[in-house]
Amino acid sequence: MKMLPNPFTAHLALVSPGIDIELSFNEFLQDLGVSPELAHILWLPLPMFLVLIAAIIGVLVTVWLERKISAAAQQRIGPEYAGALGILQPMADGLKLLVKEDIIPAKADGLLFTLGPVLVLVPVILSWLIVPFGQNLLISNVGIGIFLWIALSSIQPIGLLMSGYASNNKYSLLGGLRAAAQSISYEIPLALAVLAVVMMSNSLSTVDIVEQQNSAGLLSWNIWRQPIGFLIFWICALAECERLPFDLPEAEEELVAGYQTEYAGMKFALFYLGSYINLVLSALLVSVLYLGGWGFPIPIEWFAEWIGEPISSPIVQVCAGSIGIGMTVLKAYLLVFLAILLRWTTPRVRIDQLLDLGWKFLLPISLVNLLFTAALKLAFPIAFGG
Amino acid sequence: MFGFLKKVADYTRDAVDAANYLFQGLSVTFDHMGRRPVTVQYPYEKLIPSERYRGRIHYEFDKCIACEVCVRVCPINLPVVDWVMNKETKKKELRNYSIDFGVCIFCGNCVEYCPTNCLSMTEEYELSTFDRHSLNFDNVALGRLPTSVTTDPSIEPLRELGYLPQGVIEPHGIPAEEPRAGKLPSEMLEWLNQNSRPQESSERTNESVSLEKKD
Repeated sequence: MKMLPNPFTAHLALVSPGIDIELSFNEFLQDLGVSPELAHILWLPLPMFLVLIAAIIGVLVTVWLERKISAAAQQRIGPEYAGALGILQPMADGLKLLVKEDIIPAKADGLLFTLGPVLVLVPVILSWLIVPFGQNLLISNVGIGIFLWIALSSIQPIGLLMSGYASNNKYSLLGGLRAAAQSISYEIPLALAVLAVVMMSNSLSTVDIVEQQNSAGLLSWNIWRQPIGFLIFWICALAECERLPFDLPEAEEELVAGYQTEYAGMKFALFYLGSYINLVLSALLVSVLYLGGWGFPIPIEWFAEWIGEPISSPIVQVCAGSIGIGMTVLKAYLLVFLAILLRWTTPRVRIDQLLDLGWKFLLPISLVNLLFTAALKLAFPIAFGG
Repeated sequence: MFGFLKKVADYTRDAVDAANYLFQGLSVTFDHMGRRPVTVQYPYEKLIPSERYRGRIHYEFDKCIACEVCVRVCPINLPVVDWVMNKETKKKELRNYSIDFGVCIFCGNCVEYCPTNCLSMTEEYELSTFDRHSLNFDNVALGRLPTSVTTDPSIEPLRELGYLPQGVIEPHGIPAEEPRAGKLPSEMLEWLNQNSRPQESSERTNESVSLEKKD
């Protein structure tokens, strides 16, 4: 919950920077006679745990949703006996993987085999740093926010390739190569789509990007100004998460399970966790970049005015904060729902179709989109963030 | 110049078509989410096998005359008929009869051809065992009747699609009294008899029967 007072957004700030948990935590510890350095070190693990817990709860919910929605789309019932409506099923899955034997194949490279899943998971969790759930509700408002995410997500293919190669298995190697090719191809249109948004909001910071979208509620969301960018970003995000129709790296009909073939137990769980955290993260970022982040379809300020309460009053602050979290999560999970529905609608593309789509369709279109955005920004600076 | 424009137009049309098809597909999957599940939760709910279901074969030892017709009509000569000739009475004396259901293909030829009707097919299909040799049923095991799905109190019997009332596709919660769509064979027979009463029953031609069936 680190908060940096930003002069650019300070006058726009809906939620006043009144609560700084880090500052009060440090002051509390220093009152107890702890040195400032030690207080800072004691503070550090708390946001990390918060991210980890948020990410894992997000994954548990997503896994449950995936199973239930898949079942509904196929007119089945889905998990039912583990908890009410099978809500504990993902926990049971996780527990099973936790106590399973950890196998390293005899001919595999032990070090790389272990390092692979870690390299896949860590950047994804790290990217949660920049996801804002409210004006001050993010771990770190770094100035290069969205760029940090793009940089971190390009570490992932290294881990995938590493685990594919270290497994010493032809299916794993093919899966790893496919994953690397896919991630690298789709990163470019993804970055170009993000660039168009960044151009409009004049900032790489996720907080500024959301701020800039929330002047008139629903109508000022980026999706109206960047409809093509939104589609490109969503397609690329699906490809980056290796979800259908782009799940070639683990195409079970051809490659057993791709780079995951030789993995069992907790190492497999890391891959599993990584892919779902990545899905939730992508959905959150789509909602941040294009769907107004924490913004309610009608600006909260208008509500406050209508009720007659000043924006700085505690009640409005608390309501705005919780609505912000609720809206971010709701938008993200609507996108997760769309991803699951797409999974049962679309067939898997071939590798040549995948690369064709990435290089011959998405890349030129995202370039044109970028140029068009730049032109519109020069022509209509008011509407396109001059 | 125009060739280039045509290419661009075709490309755009393709992209729009693709998006259109994608939305059609999404609407189908979305529509399916609103439908009720068709799951039969197996150990607790079971479908009632149809009346001509070809399940495990039932055998009545006392009716059997050891003629071995069942062996001859069987595609793999499966039934083992163990008999000895009693020299004094000059009759076959049946000792044992067995069918290995691990090998049987449930074609029903033996049941069809048995001259004394000592073979029949049951509705039993739960034939999994830990050892395949325990599927080799002797005459005692063959003489057992399976528990009916409808009489087992721990199981909820569900009707198959063809046995549900008109317009119903969901077997859950349909009362057992509600009849299936169309007429039962007994009702059909009754109806045929009633309609043919004015005429001589022997004079009822094939033509009139076929006409009645069309109705």
